[in-house]
Amino acid sequence: MKKGKLFGFTVTLMAAIVIMSFTAYQAAPKPWPVPDKNAKMTNPVKKDAESISTGKSLWSKHCASCHGKSGKGDGTKAAQLKTIVEDLTTTKMQAQSDGSLFYKISEGRDDMPSFKKKIPDQEELWSIVNYMRSLK
Amino acid sequence: MARAGHYCVLAFLMFSSTPAIAQENGDTLVTEITAAPKLKPVKNTFESIWLIDNQTVMVPVKGTFEMDFQHRFGTLKNGYNDFFGLFASSNIRLGFNYVPINNLNIGLGITKYKMTWDLNAKYLILPQTKNGGSPVSVAYYGNIGIDTRPSDNFVYESDRLTYFNQLIVARKFSEKLSAQVAPSISHTNFVEGYYSEPGKISQVRKHDHIAIALGGRYKLTEKMAVLVNYDQPITKHKSGNPHPNIAFGLEVSTSSHAFQFFAGNYYALSPQLNNMYNQYDYTDGQFLIGFNITRLWNY
Repeated sequence: MKKGKLFGFTVTLMAAIVIMSFTAYQAAPKPWPVPDKNAKMTNPVKKDAESISTGKSLWSKHCASCHGKSGKGDGTKAAQLKTIVEDLTTTKMQAQSDGSLFYKISEGRDDMPSFKKKIPDQEELWSIVNYMRSLK
Repeated sequence: MARAGHYCVLAFLMFSSTPAIAQENGDTLVTEITAAPKLKPVKNTFESIWLIDNQTVMVPVKGTFEMDFQHRFGTLKNGYNDFFGLFASSNIRLGFNYVPINNLNIGLGITKYKMTWDLNAKYLILPQTKNGGSPVSVAYYGNIGIDTRPSDNFVYESDRLTYFNQLIVARKFSEKLSAQVAPSISHTNFVEGYYSEPGKISQVRKHDHIAIALGGRYKLTEKMAVLVNYDQPITKHKSGNPHPNIAFGLEVSTSSHAFQFFAGNYYALSPQLNNMYNQYDYTDGQFLIGFNITRLWNY
């Protein structure tokens, strides 16, 4: 009986080691401080239907592959990244100011690319922020 | 104090190009400025610089480097024997483009067919705007093709050269539907001759060829669209008149890529060679499978 338990434990441990060796390790996101002046920036683009539609279109093209269609961090590329993609629909994430979201989209960091060159029109970046507010 | 205010408004009116209305109301001066609304360009009329065999009005943002991978396979007619043309001899083009300034795309490419290098440029002359302004986008596209096969294929070195000039007029009708019309003129330095009477050589075809392309995109989802493209030859030659091209396919676009998969009648991957010499006839079912893949990097 004792021998059987030991055998079971050994098999489980080996299976766990094998499984873990094939599992990519993803780090938890580090804190991302936003300069005060950026965090306090006022969103100049009205959250109307046109802006949200523009934001949705840009989100689908540039963001959804990692962040997921509805922002839950479950995009098709999310598992390949070094950092866990956070759920943007949570109260904590939505508590960030528009300016903070704009700064992060614009500047990027690590796995998150900078979009200020790819999307040079700032109104479009603000429209992504507006669309992100509708993520649930 | 009020007089100083008058002078300020007067100076503003003199040096401002925007219309202004000033109204005096008792001791206070109420100034109302009516600024001309800023015209916003319509974005993403197309998701790629390509619409199957033609260029679109799209010029990527300044600082974008693009690489193109294009294939045209054999005709579908042989069926399973060459797996619907996919295992037949294919034509391939590799292209490289860069946007050095706003609205100008310059590039070069090499095509397997006739080992043709091309140098090309596209300029967005007029963008479609949202609130008034232009209802269409207008772009010019031109290229020079250089046939780089060995010299024994040519009498003169200048016979290697062909040229293509096209004006592209496009409109984004809605978020889903965009269409374009693109007249073009192709030129070849070399045309074959024949003896029309003893001692007199006539040309079998003209050096210049005019054609018109019609094309469109309908988005099925945010990332996927149906594409159609039609090319109609206009110039009539004595012989070897080209066949029109009908092509239809699917496009999937992402942040850095656009993938287009389609069936059509053009093989050459050079717009002037396609327009001047295409011998694949859609009425005979001579459709080829092809794809265009673009990869963008922003600097």
